[in-house]
Amino acid sequence: MSCHVIAEQAARKPPVLRLRAHPLRIALVGNPNVGKSVVFGRLTGRYATVSNYPGTTVAVTRGRTLVGAEVCDVIDTPGVNTLEGAISEDERITRDVLVKGEADLVIQIADARNIRRALTLTTQLSRFGHPTILALNMTDEALARGISVNAELLSKELGIPVVEMVAIEGRGLQALRDLLPLASPIRTPLLIDAAAQAAWAHELTTRVRHVSTLSLAYAQEALSRATRRPLTGIPMLAVVLYVMYLFVGVFGAQTLVGLLEEDVFGKGVNPAAIWVVNHTLPFAFARDFFVGEYGLITMGLTYAIAIVLPVVTTFFLLFGFLEDSGYIPRLAVFSDRIFRAMGLNGKAVLPMVLGLGCDTMATMTTRILATPKERLIAILLLALGIPCSAQLATILGILGGVSFAALLTLFGVVLTQMFVVGWLAGQLISGQRSDFIMELPPIRLPRLSNLITKTRMRVWWYLGEAVPLFLVGTMLLFALDKFHALGTLASLGRPIVTGLLGLPASTSQIFVMGFLRRDYGAAGLFQLAHSGQLTGVQAVVALTVMTLFIPCVANFLMIVRERGLKTACTLLSVITPIAVLTGAGLNYVLHTFGVQF
Amino acid sequence: MSSIHLAFSSEHGHRLSALAEGTRAVVAHLEAHRADGVERLQALGVTKGASIVVLQTFPGVVFLCDQTELAVERAVAETILVRISEG
Repeated sequence: MSCHVIAEQAARKPPVLRLRAHPLRIALVGNPNVGKSVVFGRLTGRYATVSNYPGTTVAVTRGRTLVGAEVCDVIDTPGVNTLEGAISEDERITRDVLVKGEADLVIQIADARNIRRALTLTTQLSRFGHPTILALNMTDEALARGISVNAELLSKELGIPVVEMVAIEGRGLQALRDLLPLASPIRTPLLIDAAAQAAWAHELTTRVRHVSTLSLAYAQEALSRATRRPLTGIPMLAVVLYVMYLFVGVFGAQTLVGLLEEDVFGKGVNPAAIWVVNHTLPFAFARDFFVGEYGLITMGLTYAIAIVLPVVTTFFLLFGFLEDSGYIPRLAVFSDRIFRAMGLNGKAVLPMVLGLGCDTMATMTTRILATPKERLIAILLLALGIPCSAQLATILGILGGVSFAALLTLFGVVLTQMFVVGWLAGQLISGQRSDFIMELPPIRLPRLSNLITKTRMRVWWYLGEAVPLFLVGTMLLFALDKFHALGTLASLGRPIVTGLLGLPASTSQIFVMGFLRRDYGAAGLFQLAHSGQLTGVQAVVALTVMTLFIPCVANFLMIVRERGLKTACTLLSVITPIAVLTGAGLNYVLHTFGVQF
Repeated sequence: MSSIHLAFSSEHGHRLSALAEGTRAVVAHLEAHRADGVERLQALGVTKGASIVVLQTFPGVVFLCDQTELAVERAVAETILVRISEG
């Protein structure tokens, strides 16, 4: 530790802490996946999404912490590899924090195993002139790999305090707080081009770091190798998908949904709500509003809590596990070629897999992609083809009961359609795709506490952002129903639905509902299929159209937020005809060949 | 002959894409591929003098650079010129 060196320096200069007009603003900056969000959580007691996947923080998170007697604002920024030259959208967010004077002090968090990379960033940071502290995080993992860093020498070379930490265990945090007043501007030579910066970082690294023989645990190494090679990786992917099906599709969508829908809501919440409403509200209109066919409680809350929540929760739990274990980036290695054909690269695998949980959340994570073209294609594919967990559960629920061939047909058609549209988009949309260059974090066993916190945060997000939209959707349906507009809309679509798609007239209404929320429509189809009103072929056609159909309202609003109203409307007008025409084509082919499921 | 020769080596040595698994090498030079390609690699620690070990060659190239495991597509691996380490 370098405390005494710094203490000497501190004696010569006044501390940073003093009376000020606004709280001291501390920005946490560092390469991706070095634990900024963990440090943020430890300092502020607030949670920022923590994962073993580079680029999870796609926006700035703020919190407060106490340093001595002073309250400070802490800003968690997206991970950056560089702050100069061509930078990605999330890197720009971080750069803006530094350039626009939003930070008074910088804590650079570095992965102790990778200080060479960190130091390249340090030279760039020095240009901004902020008082800085360097925190070497994950020193335990570094030691396990035989890497030790001479923090004292590093501190002398850079002229700033250097703290060794294991943030996830809270080690070194007190030292960090204690040294904050001693932060000073970084002293490095002014290096303009990237090559010179890298050379300087390389030279300094060789002086301050000692590496003994690589001693990565054998099992860890073997697993890392197996997950990124196609020959072993593809069977492993099949196993992962099967586990996902068992955990999300069977346990979440059947066991938990059954429990919540039939017992908790069917026998408890809904009868109680109906009783209360009937005994307190005198008007039929008001009673219908809460507990009618499109009632806020009997429909909105039941769908949101009893049907979708268990599926979303189990998915987030599993996704968190895969994310933290370091598995998903390895998936990117062998899916890269497929994505490249669609104008993307392997990095797109994260938003795509996350989309299987919630397309809205996945749309937001497309920010990790480097070029506007890639982000647009990823958003298009998410909206078009990736079924969210609620939809997936419905698809498996309905078609699982029909036949395996039916399931295969649906996924075959949807995947082909995605590929064709993706390929066309890759050709037609102007701009470039970026090179596939990706860091693979070490394979490690996720921490249960982090997994639980992460799932809890995502479920809170769902409850806070998605459930209100369910309720708004229900109110819209209620209003449309009361003013008989639902019937009008449904009858407008009926010729297409019955003629072109060969579906029962009542599915028209379900598609209108699907416009409000995709999973809503899916749940509607579920009921229709369960009451025996759909043949196997009809179920496949209806679900295919539903899967390809327009995104739910929440997803649409997210596209507007990310890419603007014009792009969102363009996507909408592209996706709708694709969905209907694909359904019509499928219906025609299945009937022509007399296919029965 | 000369075109084949160019594809696999240059005055700086070998291309990363041409190395077999397990090969140890030192980065000698980065060729500009796309506008931001070189900077991305440098930011991740792939810089002149960095030592690497090739871990996988298909479908993409996976290699350990210093202490970071990196995966790149073949076209990128072709822009990384290396000198094979002895032993």
